[in-house]
Amino acid sequence: MTELLLRSLEASTVFLLAALGELISQRSGVLNVGLEGLMLFGGTAAFILTQATHSYLAGVGVALAAGAFLGLLHGFFSVTLRGDQVVSGMGLWILSFGLTTYLGSPHTGPLGIQRLPPVLGLSPFVAVALALVLGCWLLLFRTAAGLAIRSVGENPAAAAASGVDVRAVRYLCVVAGGALAGLGGAAYTLSYNPVWNYNFLMGWGFVSLALVFFSMWNPWLLLGGSVLFGVMWQLSLNPELVLPGVLSRYVWRAIPFVTTIAILALISTQWFRTRWGLAKPEALGLPHAPE
Amino acid sequence: MKPRRAEYSSVVAHPVLRAGVAVGLALGAASVLFWASGADPLAAYRVMFGYGFLNPSGLVASLHRAIYLALCTSAFIVPLRAGLWNVGLPGQVYAGALAAYAVPFVLGLHRTLSGQPGFAVPLLMAVAAAVAGAFLGGLVGFLRARMQVNEILVTMMLNSALFWIVSDFIKEGGPFMSATAEGESFTLPDPLRPALWAGLPPTALGAVGVALVVDFVFSRTAAGYRVRAFGLNPRAARYAGIDPVRVSLGVFAVGGALAGLAGYHYFAAVPGLYKIPTNYGYYGDLSFYGIICGLIARGSAMGALPMALLFAGMSLGGRFAQGALRLPFGVDYAILGLLMTTFVATHLLDRARLPLRPRSTRLAQPGKTRAEGTL
Amino acid sequence: MADGNGTTRRTHPNAKDRPVVLAARGITKRFPGVVALAGVDLDVREGEVHAVLGQNGAGKTTLMNILFGLVQPDEGEVYVRGQRVRFRSPHDALARGIGMVHQTRRLVAAHTVLENVLLGHPGARGLVDFAAARRQVAALCERYGVRVDLNARVWQLSEGEKQWVEILKALHAGARLLILDEPTSALTPPEVEALLRAVRALVSEHGVTVLLVTHKLPLVRAVAHTITVLRAGSVAARLDAGQASDAELVRHMVGQEVAPVALEGAAGQSGPVVLEVEDLWAYGDKGTWALRGVSFEVRAGEVLGVAGVSGNGQEELAQVLAGLRPAASGRVRFEGRDITHRPPLDRWRMGMGYVPADRNGVASVAPFTLVENTGLNYHFDRELCRRGLLDYRRLEELTRRILATFQVRAPHPYAQAQQLSGGNLQKLVVGRVLSRRPRLLVAHLPTQGLDVEATAFVRAQLLEARAQGAAVLLLSEDLEEVLSLSDRVATLYEGRMVSVLPREAVDVRIVGALMAGGRAQGVAP
Repeated sequence: MTELLLRSLEASTVFLLAALGELISQRSGVLNVGLEGLMLFGGTAAFILTQATHSYLAGVGVALAAGAFLGLLHGFFSVTLRGDQVVSGMGLWILSFGLTTYLGSPHTGPLGIQRLPPVLGLSPFVAVALALVLGCWLLLFRTAAGLAIRSVGENPAAAAASGVDVRAVRYLCVVAGGALAGLGGAAYTLSYNPVWNYNFLMGWGFVSLALVFFSMWNPWLLLGGSVLFGVMWQLSLNPELVLPGVLSRYVWRAIPFVTTIAILALISTQWFRTRWGLAKPEALGLPHAPE
Repeated sequence: MKPRRAEYSSVVAHPVLRAGVAVGLALGAASVLFWASGADPLAAYRVMFGYGFLNPSGLVASLHRAIYLALCTSAFIVPLRAGLWNVGLPGQVYAGALAAYAVPFVLGLHRTLSGQPGFAVPLLMAVAAAVAGAFLGGLVGFLRARMQVNEILVTMMLNSALFWIVSDFIKEGGPFMSATAEGESFTLPDPLRPALWAGLPPTALGAVGVALVVDFVFSRTAAGYRVRAFGLNPRAARYAGIDPVRVSLGVFAVGGALAGLAGYHYFAAVPGLYKIPTNYGYYGDLSFYGIICGLIARGSAMGALPMALLFAGMSLGGRFAQGALRLPFGVDYAILGLLMTTFVATHLLDRARLPLRPRSTRLAQPGKTRAEGTL
Repeated sequence: MADGNGTTRRTHPNAKDRPVVLAARGITKRFPGVVALAGVDLDVREGEVHAVLGQNGAGKTTLMNILFGLVQPDEGEVYVRGQRVRFRSPHDALARGIGMVHQTRRLVAAHTVLENVLLGHPGARGLVDFAAARRQVAALCERYGVRVDLNARVWQLSEGEKQWVEILKALHAGARLLILDEPTSALTPPEVEALLRAVRALVSEHGVTVLLVTHKLPLVRAVAHTITVLRAGSVAARLDAGQASDAELVRHMVGQEVAPVALEGAAGQSGPVVLEVEDLWAYGDKGTWALRGVSFEVRAGEVLGVAGVSGNGQEELAQVLAGLRPAASGRVRFEGRDITHRPPLDRWRMGMGYVPADRNGVASVAPFTLVENTGLNYHFDRELCRRGLLDYRRLEELTRRILATFQVRAPHPYAQAQQLSGGNLQKLVVGRVLSRRPRLLVAHLPTQGLDVEATAFVRAQLLEARAQGAAVLLLSEDLEEVLSLSDRVATLYEGRMVSVLPREAVDVRIVGALMAGGRAQGVAP
């Protein structure tokens, strides 16, 4: 049971890192539905480089760089060209889905090097993610930069009139968000499940995206949501621990996804919206045309 | 009907050019990948296109796949015209396949041993597939219309959920599990297979017919008009008295039905398969080619047909080339990804050019991109 | 502009010896297809209220955006205290002590007042001590006599309070010159009074310089010391407030005579009741009451004008009548039939017409052709839609007729709606709605943002519809518009219809007070 919890926390970390990146990006008003793609790329790049160099640090570095680069591309499409952010995000996802399958397939199999030394029985990624939650909260709610980020996501025209450089803020957020998504992918392939397989995420990125919506764009609620989903995920992998013999193991695998839909529907009800609807960044997904 | 100029410039002339550029760029980028993997790109293309379009058995397989892609494309286009993204094609394909196989299973026909290919049961199976897809799509449409639930998230969640549900049905003692092999469904006996004409199942006619009808509906009917108005400006559509719930529900139900039909086609009407194989996930992934087809064809279902054939041949030939030239696994996936990127690039570069076009009648508004002044 | 702080000025600051704090020389700005500003000069002297007067489209806002660094001029120079400056962003302008209060609010609605005041403050870097900042801003409020809850979310505030937040924000950022762009456009008359008092106090007691941008003559009359009149991107006149007569100012502003459109003849020829609204309640977007028991009726052949400041339920009333917003309780009857819960389509079929306020976002589909846009009002019409097919050829004929009848300047019926100017688009929208010959017309802000000519045309069309026997409900923020077009006048304040007065009994001051929630005195309801 303890082991299940520890595994759950490691799963949560993957969700958390990626979702935290998306949260920052969305707080500045940029929606990146290609989150899963960024994670796939970060995870694959980290896996290949770590296998080649036997250095986890190099893997993490390349994951951050790959995610940041894709974030930069998304920023160029959605901030500079002011294109449809959904088109660009879906493009990034399918691009990564296709390319990582090709680039990673020669490396299919386990990582094959010594595992990361645990910190308090947990992967070091867990500690990093927790520190990032605190950092992200401080940044967004306790600094002038955070005020600027939130304002850009709510009302870019108002922010611009106050002298905030809307483009710069959005670029920074979408690049930082991309880097975190890449890190989330690395947490998966280097620590949570260090075996490369084509399309290894199978929906983790989209669940992370949903978690951002569940979190009301608040890092602490995001932490809670990620832990819950991590536990649910591990339980769906090992249903015999709770309800042995009930339903086939495949049906259990489907349950986190169905739960996600149910929660999405719940937070979209009129009742919920009128009470908590203000949390959503008003300008999310809308390009800003400077005056 | 008189030519509608605005439509002509945006749906016919440009897209052909843009599609050509997108495909060309993607192939160019792919040759870098081939070269990096130690293969001669030209040889790779020769093998790829040679198998996909010139080899007789390859060509038939390409056609079968093109039918599938064409149906998936229409399934993507119909909601897209309403501004909604149906990325739930794999899930709806799986739902269609399961429903199709449920028909002989429930009727107890799956143990039949011999007979001639028929019509009645296959038709019933196709209808069941379409209904299942429509139901799954309708759920997405309902959530979207009534509660504004993000359709991309819901469809992606359904893709993953349905993926596992299929496993539940065909693996480890699932109801559709074959008696002989682990991990795949029972094989359809002859009487449950649709008759072929020139090597093609009736779904070929269905795919072309669907494309014709889709384009006709959008260009000529009031219903199509309402969907387009809703897709471009939902608030204006509401003002015009167009019911958003009916539009969202309708387009997703139709899209789901078409994807379900695509599932029926590939898993129950194509020679050489006639079962849900272990690697059914691969067929689900292929449906994403439908998204690219629809995007590159700019919402024109007929325009997407040649594209579907091209991509079918390329993905099939790519797989073949992979084996012949010992390329890494996933050439077809790589091309998929590159096509998407080059599409997005050409699409957005085209958009970026827009402000430079002269706007004769438009009055100046502060806030527009600066361009050449005329006075 | 650190000085000018200690001395208190009570003398009339019109003297020419005061230093010029802000000057513009030969400012030219071109946008595609039009020259917004052509060589504009401007001199603003310290401690004065300098009014820039001009009609919509005269280039006032563009000029201010240039002075505030939001827009870069194509030619010309800006000087602050004689020193040449180049503002690349509002930051640069703020650093020189120039603050701006925009016509459309530039506040983050979901954030608190304090957060809005702090946003973009030049001194804010790194971690922000919100408690200390709150004390600072509270002290500032004290000094200028501003009463506003710093913890309130901006969306909860009234328009007048929001404006205070903007002024507070500019002052907190160190502004010594305030640009006020159409500051009264969303305010009720008492709020306008309060603002004018505050402007006078800022200038005389705190030595702030105010650059007031407006098209409203009374406002200029009330506070300005110096007036610059802009017309079509050029300076038409520079005057001392004391010297200029109203007639002279109007002549400079307009450049020509425009015949006003107004109702002719007395009321009283109205027919049977067409629209009957009874104790109507409805929620706004935030889940609070937007309409609180509204009752009225409109008869055939009359215009009922409803005056109200935005945010007092006009939008919601129009939407409920159009079926686009559910009524929480109450009744709406059209020609005797209860339509309270009927969907919009039923209403259009029955003979209602609606001209929404937002012509770009609601009344048209920007990338659609004009023909397709006409379809918005006709896609359900039996004449054009047979057996599910939409007859695009007849839709085109219809569109051509509308373009001709309603004087829409468009290259051809297959132009896209987004190619039309605001005035032409509005004429098209009005034309589409009126071409169905509705027996009830609901028009919400039908002339908002239109030029003089288009405004006159649209108003004439409303009166034409009335002459044809339609019942017209006009919802407007423009008091003058309501008074000149309506047979009867009502006011809407905080979701309540205050009273319905016959035209003869109407007085601008009374209606103005009613818009602001006051009570009609000496007038029978």
